[in-house]
Amino acid sequence: MPLIKEADSGTPPSAATEVVSLTIDGQTVMAPAGTSVMRAASMMGTAIPKLCATDSLQAFGSCRLCLVEIDGRAGTPASCTTPIADGMVVRTQTPKLAKLRKGVMELYISDHPLDCLTCAANGDCELQDMAGAVGLREVRYGYDGANHLCAEADESNPYFTFDPSKCIVCSRCVRACDEVQGTFALTIEGRGFASQVSASQSQPFMESECVSCGACVQACPTAALTETAIIDIGQPEHSVVTTCAYCGVGCTFKAEMRGEQLVRMVPYKDGKANRGHSCVKGRFAWGYATHRERILNPMIRRAVTDPWREVTWSEAIAYAASEFTRIQAAHGRNSVGGITSSRCTNEETFLVQKLVRAGFGNNNVDTCARVCHSPTGYGLKATFGTSAGTQDFDSVEHSDVIMVIGANPTDGHPVFASRMKQRLRQGARLIVIDPRRIDLVRTPHVQADHHLPLRPGTNVAVLNALAHVIVTEGLVDEAFVRERCDWEEFQDWAEAVAAPANSPEASEAFTGVPPETVRQAARLYATGGAAAIYYGLGVTEHSQGTTAVIAIANLAMATGNLGKLGAGVNPLRGQNNVQGACDMGSFPHELSGYRHVSDDDARGVFEALWDVELDAEPGLRIPNMLDAAVQGAFKGLYIQGEDILQSDPNTTHVAAGLAAMECVVVQDLFLNETANYAHVFLPGSTFLEKDGTFTNAERRIQRVRKVMSPRNGFGDWEITQMLSNALGFTMSYSHPSEIMDEIASLTPTFAGVSFAKLDEEGSVQWPCNAAAPLGTPVMHLDGFVRGKGRFMLTEYVATDEKVGPRFPLLLTTGRVLSQYNVGAQTRRTANVAWHNEDLLEIHPEDAEQRGVRDGDWVSLKSRAGETSLRATVTERVAPGVVYTTFHFPQTQANVVTTEYSDWATNCPEYKVTAVEVALSNGTTDWQTRYQAHTRRSRRIAQPEPAE
Amino acid sequence: MSASLPQIPWNADHAAALVARCVALEGPLLPALHVIQATFGCVPDEAVPIIAQVLNLSRADVHGVLTFYHDFRRVPAGRRILKFCAAEACQARGSADAIAQVERALGLKVGETRSDGAVTLEAVYCLGLCASGPAALLDGDPFARLKGARLDHLLTQVLP
Amino acid sequence: MSGAEVDRLVTMANQIARFFESQPGDGAARATADHLNSFWAPTMREQLSEHAAAGGSGLSALVAAAVPLLRPARTDAPG
Repeated sequence: MPLIKEADSGTPPSAATEVVSLTIDGQTVMAPAGTSVMRAASMMGTAIPKLCATDSLQAFGSCRLCLVEIDGRAGTPASCTTPIADGMVVRTQTPKLAKLRKGVMELYISDHPLDCLTCAANGDCELQDMAGAVGLREVRYGYDGANHLCAEADESNPYFTFDPSKCIVCSRCVRACDEVQGTFALTIEGRGFASQVSASQSQPFMESECVSCGACVQACPTAALTETAIIDIGQPEHSVVTTCAYCGVGCTFKAEMRGEQLVRMVPYKDGKANRGHSCVKGRFAWGYATHRERILNPMIRRAVTDPWREVTWSEAIAYAASEFTRIQAAHGRNSVGGITSSRCTNEETFLVQKLVRAGFGNNNVDTCARVCHSPTGYGLKATFGTSAGTQDFDSVEHSDVIMVIGANPTDGHPVFASRMKQRLRQGARLIVIDPRRIDLVRTPHVQADHHLPLRPGTNVAVLNALAHVIVTEGLVDEAFVRERCDWEEFQDWAEAVAAPANSPEASEAFTGVPPETVRQAARLYATGGAAAIYYGLGVTEHSQGTTAVIAIANLAMATGNLGKLGAGVNPLRGQNNVQGACDMGSFPHELSGYRHVSDDDARGVFEALWDVELDAEPGLRIPNMLDAAVQGAFKGLYIQGEDILQSDPNTTHVAAGLAAMECVVVQDLFLNETANYAHVFLPGSTFLEKDGTFTNAERRIQRVRKVMSPRNGFGDWEITQMLSNALGFTMSYSHPSEIMDEIASLTPTFAGVSFAKLDEEGSVQWPCNAAAPLGTPVMHLDGFVRGKGRFMLTEYVATDEKVGPRFPLLLTTGRVLSQYNVGAQTRRTANVAWHNEDLLEIHPEDAEQRGVRDGDWVSLKSRAGETSLRATVTERVAPGVVYTTFHFPQTQANVVTTEYSDWATNCPEYKVTAVEVALSNGTTDWQTRYQAHTRRSRRIAQPEPAE
Repeated sequence: MSASLPQIPWNADHAAALVARCVALEGPLLPALHVIQATFGCVPDEAVPIIAQVLNLSRADVHGVLTFYHDFRRVPAGRRILKFCAAEACQARGSADAIAQVERALGLKVGETRSDGAVTLEAVYCLGLCASGPAALLDGDPFARLKGARLDHLLTQVLP
Repeated sequence: MSGAEVDRLVTMANQIARFFESQPGDGAARATADHLNSFWAPTMREQLSEHAAAGGSGLSALVAAAVPLLRPARTDAPG
């Protein structure tokens, strides 16, 4: 599509319902009360000249360009700050206004470089536009007065430049950082002629509080803040709307192109998940697609100790297929399996599970949700009937109370966190339950009412204590429970949580949370209005992960916080398409749409369409596949877009499992850690190089659109298709839309989904079918999907992972803003400027006891293994708790994590590991050996020179 | 502000405690900046993160307000502070010449502190003594009709 | 199957049983078996049954009660 220039109405819309009628330039306009005159004019197609106004920000009224004349009012009010009134008569163009506007522009241009023709913003500059719009022909001040033309540019940020000589001090950047992002990193320093934009305390952007979200660059009307890519490459010439491939927020972007070269990603204002905002990753960190480490040719090798050999696609596919066939013949049908990717599209994931079920003939297929939100799937299905969150992101705008449990949204879901902070700044109350003092607890202009810094592993105890307060203090929404839930189940549950052992006072002994804090938090959640729970992996990655999800569902049901805006249970899904991967039937026990494989009716529909008999028994989950491999029963694995050796727990065990297999096929962008043990490497494609759909944490299905030809030659779906055909199970799709049509025909909750509908609507949230043709924003409105909401008891069972004299500290893990998961993508971008190694956070008391100072190398040891990394001493963790991230393979953080997992889903207990920390000299023997092994495993044989 | 207070050396904990006492006020930032300057003689750069932390603002927020008001200084002033009015009414009554004379006498330009730390000369814009200009504040005490002998007298007060 | 692998199965089964044991009513054995039938691959269920038949050391009483309710692998599976 041609370059999309979204209309800018000047000021945000009004939410009022009352409609007002006025006359602008002789035309009658109707608009909601509270709308600005500027916006009302734009609604009828009249663009009043403006510089400091933009519709993503509140009106500011500083540039004085948008003046209008209003009958009956003296002077020339600014149209951006003037709300419409019934019967108002406005003129936007008069001789007086023309003179005033020219005067304003003369002042601006008298202090502005006149290098338009060679300026990066040439063609995309609002100052240019306004000079034209007001008919500027001369600047009577001349150019010899005091000016800012010699101001030096700040190029510290790798992705954008700040050139103060081109700044008109409209404050849009400051306001964007405040209102949209919520970081407040910018200000105007000084005043009058000396006013200038300052990042923090007049520092280079990279040293300031800036988080590089790009909102200021987007808001800037001149070249003052410009993407480095625009400076280097030039203006783009066409756009493609697509969806980000990083986190579960699923921001919509315009990929702005020159031919097949991506110039920049600009957030799309109409994106329902992000509403025109972005974070550093989606906005800027897409360079990994053209990184030199990207593998573009298929490779095979007989033994993992051999160097890789580049071969043709047909040879690689044929080799992989023949190996899987051989292995199944020798070791049985169940000796092979597949892992789908939560980064690849719904269509691609669907094909991988189809290949496994129809091609391999078993149900040994799983996905990374195993290690993150599988407890969400189980817990919410059991209690509500749907394996997904209940609301959309917009719902947060109606929340009165927000409870964040085991999630760190400012780092993990930054764009959604910005929306949450907007609501918090409006006065919503905040409860944070997390062992660590995450940013959200106290960040400029936002402060949690209650922070419950519980001991890792005690989530269920704290949730039970909250329930105890709600039940024993009479805070239950009885009407809701009687109508929507099973009353007897509720009574059983209420009796259980009311037991004294579940009181906040009794729980303090092992949770470490003061009882009064628990009581106040519980009262706030139950009585503060529409209360929403947002939770993440700090809830699910525990041996009682599913139990905690159930406990959360219980709290929401007991207080009537479901089926309405502003409330609900909201799992913050991690990856761009992990929700989709689950929806597509990536689990070994479920077909698409979460129907059990033993359900003869559901399975029958698939069997009929695919013309093949399918296995009715559940297959192996990833940890079970590895166990079976070590036992010698599981020999072949097809892995698409997943790096289990870096991301799964207990690295030694994963390595042992992979090493025991005879055919490991890795389909990925780079030679990752898992590829060290692979026999076939099939180069995959990025989200920029294929068509398809992703489903975000809101159940929102959004289009991914191809902007460039796949550098590796094929979309991932085409590769799976080739492999399936080579295995003897025919697939003949010519376009991903056909795959979605098949998904829709087989999956009742997706029945109304098609590429055509998505093109028309932009996105839909499933369920999308005859009952809800345009999708379902908020679920369980009148009743739960399973009928009555189900209360289940959640007895607290302390994890087996205990501290002791050898391992006296508890390790928990998380993420940072600039890096993403295993870092495969972000490590290959300039984001390493912010975070180029994993650090161990340790409390000053624990550090002092061990002689550890900030920056020292320390060893991190558990009963599973040992690794080394550098320490950072901070009070964000409590004494007795340490924390790190897992973005860098050299850290080998998962050498330390254990095999303990959630009882229901085997989701690993990443968040609770008993460790000891001590000073060390540097990397461990394991890390050194591992790195040497990695180097050897990544050798690619040079082709023999021709005779 | 009356006579120049003794300047306490910068102390981060003390600064944090002073700011903490402003938290309950409506609009605590300006009172916090005032008390810091009154206690330490200026608002040094190190104060900004502390004020931000205690009041839960960003450093940018604090920096913007701090730099907007010329009366907040970032480095300590001299032992005596002479603020000479340069606004329109005093200009009409000859303040430009008066200021030039003061600059020559002190060996300073407006905005500077003498290298021996004895005195700081600042321009201010309207002390509300318009009918009696040129006017000035010396360590907070007002002086007016500053021409000829009166100006000479003032200078002897600045540097006894 | 090695000792370590058996221990793992025993631990997982006991964990599952513990959850259903905590629910009201007396359907815990059935619920445990249902969970294992729904989520454990046939080989894993078989290994558990074999371990139970060989004395079931380490298995909680509830798991032992659930084992007879485990569904054997369907022999009519696709070839």
